[in-house]
Amino acid sequence: MRKPREPKSNRRRRNKMAEIVEKYNTKCPGVKRLMREAIELAEATEEYCARPLEDNLFEWHFTVQGPKGTEFEGGIYHGRILLPKEYPMHPPHIILLTPNGRFEINKKICLSISGHHPETWQPSWSIRTALLALIAFMPTPAEGTIGSLDYTPAERKILAKKSTNWSCSQCGEIKLLLSSTAAKPLTEEEQSVLNQIAFKGEDDQSSKPPPPTEEETPEPELQVLESTEPVTGFLDQLTEILVALLVGAIGIFIYRRWNAFYAEAETEL
Amino acid sequence: MADDASSSSGITGNTVENSINQDELIMKQQREIEKEISETIPLVGEIEELQTLEKEYNEDPIYLLKVKDLSSKYKSIRRTRPDGNCFFRAFSYAYLERLLTDKQEYDKFYEIAKNSKDILVALGFSQFTVEDFYETFMEVIQRVGEHAGSTPDLIETVRMELHDKFNKQGYSDYIVVYLRLITSGQLQTDQEFYQNFIEGPRTVTEFCRQEVEPMYKESDHIHIIALSNALKVCVRVKYMDRGEGSQVIAHDFPEGSTPLVHLLYRPGHYDILYA
Repeated sequence: MRKPREPKSNRRRRNKMAEIVEKYNTKCPGVKRLMREAIELAEATEEYCARPLEDNLFEWHFTVQGPKGTEFEGGIYHGRILLPKEYPMHPPHIILLTPNGRFEINKKICLSISGHHPETWQPSWSIRTALLALIAFMPTPAEGTIGSLDYTPAERKILAKKSTNWSCSQCGEIKLLLSSTAAKPLTEEEQSVLNQIAFKGEDDQSSKPPPPTEEETPEPELQVLESTEPVTGFLDQLTEILVALLVGAIGIFIYRRWNAFYAEAETEL
Repeated sequence: MADDASSSSGITGNTVENSINQDELIMKQQREIEKEISETIPLVGEIEELQTLEKEYNEDPIYLLKVKDLSSKYKSIRRTRPDGNCFFRAFSYAYLERLLTDKQEYDKFYEIAKNSKDILVALGFSQFTVEDFYETFMEVIQRVGEHAGSTPDLIETVRMELHDKFNKQGYSDYIVVYLRLITSGQLQTDQEFYQNFIEGPRTVTEFCRQEVEPMYKESDHIHIIALSNALKVCVRVKYMDRGEGSQVIAHDFPEGSTPLVHLLYRPGHYDILYA
């Protein structure tokens, strides 16, 4: 009946969670959901680990192990997960920080169902789904997708070896972050989902502002924060200028005809 | 060294990237439209006289005739935001509103709702995410149950609360997600039957993943059939389109029972109707 002693790190984390609960509005569904996920992912596993930053529940750092039997084997890769304020209605963005030869680093990549748009993200997926999908997607061919890199297997192997010495300014040496416990086995649903998920980078111009760093209640009005699109903005301006020019030209034309008509009328008189 | 490899691959990837950029532009435009809609139309609006529809179609004789036909059976309409979730939102709003005055139906529904989570988990959906949506869903349902069939004053209080919740993205979207999961669960449980409704080579599971579970995906007959079967609720949908005749055709799902929810369908959109 004796309960095994809880490791210190867990207790520390639980206290952290209490702080987060105080800081955020738990009525906000995204917050409630992310706290659940933080608890779900509290234990590091052999394959992956992830946790929110101490001061921002909407940004997490993760570490994944390179998939075995591939050129990423032995590699350990670290990165950021940015959660939109609409999470889990909208998908998380992932940014890899450790050079890996498959994804560009410091670039937002987003998961979608292969061949479809990110709108096919499902709210019942989670950060765990995203990480498992990332691991499964690493060995797939890059095929020129935005955010993808086509390094040779040899180059990737070198990067995999180097990656174990990589360290994150916030989380420290990443090789210490994973544990030796195997992750929860995949459910059938997860297995079939993973086969369909693809990742692609975001266009730089369309990149959205980073998720809220301060507490925000995601009311619908807040969607105003969405990025302004420079491309369409420019086109709009161009059209406006063209229209203005056209109106001007027509005006001048009419004015001249009118003048000419009067001049004629006067001479007739 | 590694950088060289990436630049050489950039050339072959160019055409692919171009088509992706095209896609991105289309998506951007779509996002702008969506943003405008979300800023101007509430998730679920106030109840309106059916005459407002007449005004909408002032110069459209075909629709005017149909609105006239509609007004012989219905008095008012409640509009929902056209964001692709409108069927689920309209259905759940109308049904829960109805349950407020029908305790017997409420008790029947409560049992079905309570057992729905286990069905989904057994189908392989991730337990803790399903639980997240389920809890919010049940919270709303339980609040309805507290005063279902009670005095008009109390019913009105809860009705206003319900309206408020349906206009809060947090509650409203969570209810939509959960109904989408129930729909998906029903489709997958009875795959053989529903496979006949799916066009093309997609399996039921693929269909669910692409057309049912993601938010903002519009609902078709198959969604309505599955949801009404899963919850054992009969829905009448009045189809108003440019088709011939002056009648608005009604479809009951499933056929032969008394509909408790009445919806108006105009191409691509569902609103709630009241007799």
